[in-house]
Amino acid sequence: MTKFVDTKKLELKALKVRQEVLEMISTANASHIGSAFSSIETLVFLYEKILKENDRFILSKGWGVSALYSVMVQRKLLPKNILKTYCMDGSSLLGSATRNSKSGIIATTGSMGHGLPIGVGMALANKIGKKAGKVFVLMSDGECNEGSVWEAILQASHHNLKDLTVIVDRNMWQSFGRTEEVLKLEPLAKKWEAFNWDCIEIDGHSFIQLDKAFNVKQKKPTVIIAKTIKGKGVSYFEDKNEWHYKTPRQEILDIAKKELNL
Amino acid sequence: MRTAFVDSLLSIMEKDKSVVLLTADMGFSVFEELKARFPNRFFNTGASEQSTIGLAAGMSLSGLKVFVYAQASFITMRCFEQVRLDLAYNKLNVTLVGVAAGYTLNQLGVSHFAIEDISLMRSLPEMTVFAPGDPDEARLATKKAYSLSGPSYLRLSNAGSPSVHVQTVKNIDTPIQLDSGKKGALIVSGSLLPMAVVIIQKLKKKNVNISLFSMPIIKPLNIKFLENLKTSYKYIFTLEDHNIIGGLGSAISEFIAENGPAVKVVRFGIPDEYLSITGSRDYLLKKSGISADIISKKIISLIS
Repeated sequence: MTKFVDTKKLELKALKVRQEVLEMISTANASHIGSAFSSIETLVFLYEKILKENDRFILSKGWGVSALYSVMVQRKLLPKNILKTYCMDGSSLLGSATRNSKSGIIATTGSMGHGLPIGVGMALANKIGKKAGKVFVLMSDGECNEGSVWEAILQASHHNLKDLTVIVDRNMWQSFGRTEEVLKLEPLAKKWEAFNWDCIEIDGHSFIQLDKAFNVKQKKPTVIIAKTIKGKGVSYFEDKNEWHYKTPRQEILDIAKKELNL
Repeated sequence: MRTAFVDSLLSIMEKDKSVVLLTADMGFSVFEELKARFPNRFFNTGASEQSTIGLAAGMSLSGLKVFVYAQASFITMRCFEQVRLDLAYNKLNVTLVGVAAGYTLNQLGVSHFAIEDISLMRSLPEMTVFAPGDPDEARLATKKAYSLSGPSYLRLSNAGSPSVHVQTVKNIDTPIQLDSGKKGALIVSGSLLPMAVVIIQKLKKKNVNISLFSMPIIKPLNIKFLENLKTSYKYIFTLEDHNIIGGLGSAISEFIAENGPAVKVVRFGIPDEYLSITGSRDYLLKKSGISADIISKKIISLIS
């Protein structure tokens, strides 16, 4: 039985993140707003409700990092005024998660298939040192095209890393098409289960379902397949892959701002 | 050299409990003692080089010091992007140990040869590249790699390398001089060091005296040593069991091209081609133009 989840408060935080991400990306003429928007509820929930001091979070879908910066600012892990430096000359806040002294990013990702192996290594290090601490990795579904992901899944299962949780942002799109048209992943849950992971499928935009999924006492490494909508939050962006690439400008920017109460 | 590496690593792991070894399913008859002595710090991660590097990175980010062991070709090439992004960019204290480099696995052919590995590793910022020439150098290289704060590549041949140095080698930061002569200098990195000694002897018999240096650290280059070299010799020869493109010879050439216009550099090594036949290691090296006979004759014709 989970405790009461203040979904209204969390939804307000998610809205603020969407506002800030829209601001960052449009100002910087940057890409990936669709990818950032699909993962916002997961990021907000993790940072507001789940992550503790000894825990580690890796954003494996590194191109969605704008959302993470905003969430970290809300948790006071980054200074508030840093967001306006996003992608500017000399900035340590890059458009793809890059480790450096200022960004708070611990693992450089953005090239797919790196985050999970690194997370497995961290979980293993905890096991060796008998240290408490969980490891969370947020991946994209398209990322499951990469062989290194499946190697890491084998490794995690072999060592029964039950303090490792993966969230797959299942927005059904990748770079150049829908996931099921490029390289079929379904049945995705069954694949992870066949590799001896536990699997929970949820609506990735529901704080109630996120709460339920993250509060399961894990007996095995666990994947939460979060069904999401790419571009969620602005009707104009939703489920359209051009928002992987395009910067919202002019009329579209105005529409987006209006929908996000900006 | 492999035994020297393992002995070094055993004593390191005994003293420092934060050191772990990962192997990508290699080490039969090599790691049995290590596994028995340090069972929770030994991991066979299977034939999964890409995730192995990621694991090493994750462990290093958590405060462990990691050695990753596999065949030279697999650990540098199968997972090069991981080495680049997870280790080199993050400047992590992870040492890649690549065994059976060059033509060591002579019967197995190109799939098991590594003749491009130095070139790849050298092109990574932050990466220190070691190619020891004998067990003494291998021992020192292992210790040094462990002491560095960033990533290293330790290129080993396990073709029964003999000890070459007569005097105890204390330090590998500066290339080690084994012989002196004025007509030129031969620089060797790695397992062809014994062959280089024979080359020098053959040259002496023809009254051609050149210096011999072993250079166990290819990156970073010892600039002071090279500055001296360029003012002391008109000919510099390099020798390696690696493609002449991108390895020791290229590294020296790069320096001399910019700094030593009066010096000629001649690279001895594997020409830019793959062999499709087999034979003994000596046979294959000879096919690639590498033998004490061939090289000493070439040096004589160049210098005279």
